[in-house]
Amino acid sequence: MAMKQPKDHSHFLLPDLGEGVAEAELITWKVSPGEAVKEHQTLAEMETDKALVEVPSPWAGTIKELNGNAGDIILVGAVLVTYDIGGAPQSATPPVEVVAEASSEREDAGSVVGNVSETLTMPTSFQRQDECDTERCCESRSLATPAVRRIARDLNIDINAVAGSGRGGRVTASDVQTHANEPTTSSAAVATRVVDTPPAPAEELPLATRVAVPIEGVSERIPFRGVRRKIAEALQHSLNTAAHFSVNEEADITQLEQRRKGLESLLGRRISPLPFVLTAVCKALRVHPRINCTVDDFVEEIQLRSVVNLGCAVDTDHGLMVPVVKNADELGLVQLADRIAELAQSCRDRTIDREDLSGGTFTVSSVGNCGGMFTTPIINYPEVGILGIGRARERVLTKNGAFYAGMVLPMSLSCDHRVVDGAEAARFLTTIRGLLEAPENILPTV
Amino acid sequence: MPVDCAFQTTIERVSILDEHGVFDESLGEGLIPDADVVKLYRHMTMCRHFDQIAFKLQRSGRMGTYPENRGQEATSLGAAYALEDSDWLVTCYRENAGLFWRGVDPEKILLHWMGDERGNNIPVKATPLAIPIGTQMLHAAGLAWASKYRGDGGIACTFFGDGATSEGDFHEAMNFSANLDLPVVFVCQNNSWAISVPTRIQCSAPTIAQRGLAYGMHSVQVDGNDIFAMVKVVRDAAERARRDNRPTFIEAVTYRLGDHTTADDARRYRDEAEVEAWVGRDPMIRLRNWLEHRDLWDESQEHAQQLENEATVSAIVKRAEGIEPPTTDDIFKWMYADIPASIDAQRRTLRTSSLGQGIDGSGS
Repeated sequence: MAMKQPKDHSHFLLPDLGEGVAEAELITWKVSPGEAVKEHQTLAEMETDKALVEVPSPWAGTIKELNGNAGDIILVGAVLVTYDIGGAPQSATPPVEVVAEASSEREDAGSVVGNVSETLTMPTSFQRQDECDTERCCESRSLATPAVRRIARDLNIDINAVAGSGRGGRVTASDVQTHANEPTTSSAAVATRVVDTPPAPAEELPLATRVAVPIEGVSERIPFRGVRRKIAEALQHSLNTAAHFSVNEEADITQLEQRRKGLESLLGRRISPLPFVLTAVCKALRVHPRINCTVDDFVEEIQLRSVVNLGCAVDTDHGLMVPVVKNADELGLVQLADRIAELAQSCRDRTIDREDLSGGTFTVSSVGNCGGMFTTPIINYPEVGILGIGRARERVLTKNGAFYAGMVLPMSLSCDHRVVDGAEAARFLTTIRGLLEAPENILPTV
Repeated sequence: MPVDCAFQTTIERVSILDEHGVFDESLGEGLIPDADVVKLYRHMTMCRHFDQIAFKLQRSGRMGTYPENRGQEATSLGAAYALEDSDWLVTCYRENAGLFWRGVDPEKILLHWMGDERGNNIPVKATPLAIPIGTQMLHAAGLAWASKYRGDGGIACTFFGDGATSEGDFHEAMNFSANLDLPVVFVCQNNSWAISVPTRIQCSAPTIAQRGLAYGMHSVQVDGNDIFAMVKVVRDAAERARRDNRPTFIEAVTYRLGDHTTADDARRYRDEAEVEAWVGRDPMIRLRNWLEHRDLWDESQEHAQQLENEATVSAIVKRAEGIEPPTTDDIFKWMYADIPASIDAQRRTLRTSSLGQGIDGSGS
């Protein structure tokens, strides 16, 4: 996107030189301080992870300062040069975001290895005959994926010389590695080429050469793909973004359990404790509206929500899914129970609509039927709170100095500390506890 | 005779003004009036200067991205010159010269690459630039079909690169046009490179023109850097389309002298010697030599033209950069004649968000 430059033309911010480029290395300056430049005149030569480019001046003016030296990495949006705009008093120079001197420690982006002039020749990957001679159909040609072929090319190994151990004789990445580690197999020609290009240090190997380290006793290797990967990405993003903290509490649900069983026999059907908890959460969110919100980090906004849409974590054969009960606070207890059952079923048979998997304002995760007490739930970002429900247990409790046997429900609340303070989270959890311990507040008026 | 020849043909290659400046009088004389050749050359120089400035605008952060047109000007310009204003131009993104000739305001092209939807609102018979590779040939087939159905005598001329001929949509458009007798002119700008993939890797046939032949349409190869040859083959193709409702496939052999786009660095995969060889076949220099040889152009005119180009392009840039900022409504405005309720709801929601307020001063 176009970079917003200062109206007074006092300084020039480094724009995105490609598409989605974040930084560029300064190769050489083409102007000097005090020099008058024309519009479009080249200021510097810079190298992005995509290209070596000339950066022109967006306007005519006189150069005041050049920020950075050859080899510096300059971030997009940082001041590249300042211009003498006369008259105006010497204002504080905007901060120069030079990250680091180019050094051997700099992480290689993977697309450029070595110095520029060496990259200007046509890579072998475009020379068709490299892998396959003039013969159209090569019986000797190995089966291998493009990624594995790339690894072989990078290691200067003829893929057709590698024995394949994969399905149908396919050459796998580890076959190539094994082949590379065999010291005597290289032919003379290969050996010469290896000498020509000294092997890159291990940390500079491009991504494609990442192969699993051979370890003993692996029974199965499962690629990190599909739903599992989606779950992983979403959770990692949440953890990296929200400032997680957790509060734990127990609720005495002895009375609630009695009333629940009463309701079950009255209606002649099973009703799990979950809809009771959800009803309590809805009411508590109305008392603490700051927790019923979502964060838009892109526009830097906390968006308080007028609706209560509750996500309910569901364990399925293909992984965790979180369907959302829309307008949960407008549903009665039995309606809630039915809606949850309906959504959970459509998650399990994977018929759930996309709309029913998004738009939540708070999430409840119940692991009660699997056992366990307290958890440290991960927030379903961009929401700011999640309540984990453990297994209700019978316990010896005390009241007014007397023992009694009762049921206890463990609850774990995680909130995004960027939005919700500890005291507020604790008060919210106490409200939920209060509602669960005084069930007349959440039971339907029968 | 058990083995017989089922079909035999040849692919013609048309060249009138070749890279050495040799002009074929029999084909070229009188093809374009001298005054028009001068106009076409002047237009070409303006496009070349526009191209250079657009590239710099991107590099200095004033435009999002830009694909250089340098070296391919003759292809679309020759076609636009040979067609009627009532014919559709269905282009990708390296046909500035043809579009400007047709009357597309160059400011629109800058706006397009600045990410402004208004850049796609062009009031001539040309479709917005098609960025996804190979989608627009089907649009051309549809537009030509509509013209045939309405009987308005219009035809559609579509442009695409060599890479696009490896896409499924290309083959569907070719098949439809040939079998339904549609008045389409397919112009493949074979510029030797599909980003970093050389043509020889993605097409095993000696010519791309053969791909058109396979569908049973008249197919021809032409020197795409020769504006005379381009005018001739497109004129022939347009006549074939208008008279017989038959499509034509034209492989215009040219060369992308610049990078694929500003996000590319062709030096990483392309041999400098190859580029040098094609610099010598530059369509603009070839045309200038022809004009000077006939005393139709001289150094002083060239100098004046350069000054004019600088002023023209500078004014275009000023207008494009001076336009009032777009509103967020623009995102939703141009896809449908009647905006569906669900899209309209999004449009209204965006107006009330802080993002919407940031761009659209009116806010909610």
